[in-house]
Amino acid sequence: MARLDEIAIVIRSKNAGPFCLTLDVLFADEASYRRVVAAQAITAEKMAALYRQPIGNVQVYHHPIALAMKVSIVRSVPAGSLADTDLYGAQQHVPLYPIEIA
Amino acid sequence: MKPEMKILAASGQLGYGIPEEAFRRGVARQPDVIGADMGSIDPGPYCLGSGEMVVAGEGLRRDLRMVLEGAKETGAPLLMGSAGTAGRRSQLDGVVEVVESVAKERGIKLRLATIPADIPKEVVRKHLRAGDIEPCGTVPALTEEELDRATGIVAQMGVEPFQRAIEMGAEVVIAGRACDTSMFAAIPLMKGYDKGLTMHMAKLIECASACADPGGRDASMGVMGDGYFVVESMHPRQRCTPVSVAAHALYEQSDPFQLEEPGGIIDLAESRYEQIDERRVRVTGSVWRPSSRYCVKLEGARHTGFRYLAMGGIRDPRMIAATDSVAEETRQIVSRTFVGSIDPSDYTLTFRIYGKDAVLGPVEPTPSMAQAHEIFVLIDVVGRTELIAKSVCGVAKQFFLHLRYPGILCTSGNIAHPFSPDVLAAGAVYEFNIYHLMPAGDPCALFPIQMRTIGG
Repeated sequence: MARLDEIAIVIRSKNAGPFCLTLDVLFADEASYRRVVAAQAITAEKMAALYRQPIGNVQVYHHPIALAMKVSIVRSVPAGSLADTDLYGAQQHVPLYPIEIA
Repeated sequence: MKPEMKILAASGQLGYGIPEEAFRRGVARQPDVIGADMGSIDPGPYCLGSGEMVVAGEGLRRDLRMVLEGAKETGAPLLMGSAGTAGRRSQLDGVVEVVESVAKERGIKLRLATIPADIPKEVVRKHLRAGDIEPCGTVPALTEEELDRATGIVAQMGVEPFQRAIEMGAEVVIAGRACDTSMFAAIPLMKGYDKGLTMHMAKLIECASACADPGGRDASMGVMGDGYFVVESMHPRQRCTPVSVAAHALYEQSDPFQLEEPGGIIDLAESRYEQIDERRVRVTGSVWRPSSRYCVKLEGARHTGFRYLAMGGIRDPRMIAATDSVAEETRQIVSRTFVGSIDPSDYTLTFRIYGKDAVLGPVEPTPSMAQAHEIFVLIDVVGRTELIAKSVCGVAKQFFLHLRYPGILCTSGNIAHPFSPDVLAAGAVYEFNIYHLMPAGDPCALFPIQMRTIGG
C-alpha cells in the first residue's frame, strides 16, 4: 500500500468555470498511472463521498496519454459567493493526498 | 500542400508582465499572427460586476508596448481578447486608452478595431421569454429577477467578430470578453486550416507555455500545417512533450476530451501527440464537431452589498479551545443587538476560522484545533449597505474580543488584532448570477465592431 501523494507527481485543484471544481492527478510513468487506475481508488462513488456531493455531481475521467486522472465536481457554492472559501478552487485537492492505493 | 502558418501567443494574461526574452524569440521567427489573452472569469465576480480595471499602470503599459512593437516589426495582425480581465466595456475602453497613448508615444500608426462584448439586458430578456436560455452546466435557471439584478453582462465572442474586423482592414483588434481560443484561431480558420486542429492549437497556446515541461508563462508558438499542428515554447529550456501537451487539456477544464466552444465541440478523444524533436510536439486527429445551433456563453454578476472585515490571531490555548462556542455566542448577541433596527436578512456574518476548517469547509477531514498553537479568525460581514456592514462587523468584533468563556484566565481580550483600525472596509461585493448559453443566429450581431486609425 502507498498513499496517492507518494505515487502522483501532480495533485491539484482549480475552478473549471465558477460553478465547477476540477481535480487533476498526474503520474510520471505509465506503471504508476495503471496502478492507481487498477486500484479503483478514484471512482465517482468515492469522490462523491469524500467531497460530500451527490454522485450525479461528480465525473471521473481517465486520460492514458496524459498519464492523468481527472475528477470534476459541481461546486457546493459558486466561486466568489458569500459562502465561498476558495475563489480559484486552488486548495481543494488536499483530501486526495491520503487515499490508499493497493 | 498548404504552407505552414505561425501563430505566436504572447501571453495568457497580458498586463501581468510578459517574459521578454521568449517573446522576442517568437517575434524573430516572423509569426503570421500575434495573439494575447487578457482576461478570465477566474478572478471572480467583482471584476465583472464592478467593471473596474483590474490590471493597470506600468505592467499593462509595458506589455502593450511590447506586443504593439512586435506587431509593427513583423507586420503580423495583433489580436487581443477579454480586455481588462472581465471584458466589460469600461475595461475595454481603459485598455484602448493605453494602446492609443503607447501608439502615439512610439509613433506607431495603425488601424484599430475595438469589439465590445457587453450584452444589453433587453436582448437577454427577449431570449429568456422565448425560453431559449440554458444554464451552462449545473447552474440555476435564469429568471427575469436575476437578470434585472445583474450590473454587468458580457458574452464570450467566438472567432467570427475577429475575422470580420480583419476583413475590414484592422491591424490590431482589441475585444471585450472573448473565448480564449478566438484570438489564435480566427486567422488560421480564415486561411482554411482544419477547424478541429486549429481550435485545439488555440486552446494549447492561449495559456502561453503552460503546456510545456516545465510549464511557464513564456510566449509559445503554434504552427498550423496541412492535417497537423506543431506546438513549441519560445523559452529554450521548456520542452513540449506528448504528456505535457496532452495534459494541458485537463487544465481548468471539466472534461478533458470534449471542449465546448461557440458553435461546436473540440473533440480530443482521437488526438495523437508525437515528439518531433527535443522541444516540439506534432498533434493530429483532433476533430471539430459542430452543434445544431450557435450559442454564446453569457456571464453576469449582481451587486450583493458591502463588506467589512475584522481579523486577528488567537494564541491562548484556552481561547483556541473555546473559539467555536465564542463565535456562536457572538452571533446570537449580534442578532439580539439589532432586533428592530437591522433585519437579519440585510447582512451575513461569517466566522472564518483558519487553523480549523476555513479552507475546506465541510469537506475538511480534520476539523479540529487540538494540535493548533495559534489560529487566525476572519470576521467577515457583508451588509446591504456599507453602514449595516460596518455596524454589524464592529459589534461582532467587540463581543468576540471581550466575551467570557468557561476556564478563561485572560480577561483583557481574546484576539490579537494586527491593524488599526481593527474593522476594515473591503468594498463592494458582487456575485455571479448569470452563466448561461444564449443562441446567436449571427455570431457577429452581438459584437459591434468600431474601426479607427490611431497613432502616427
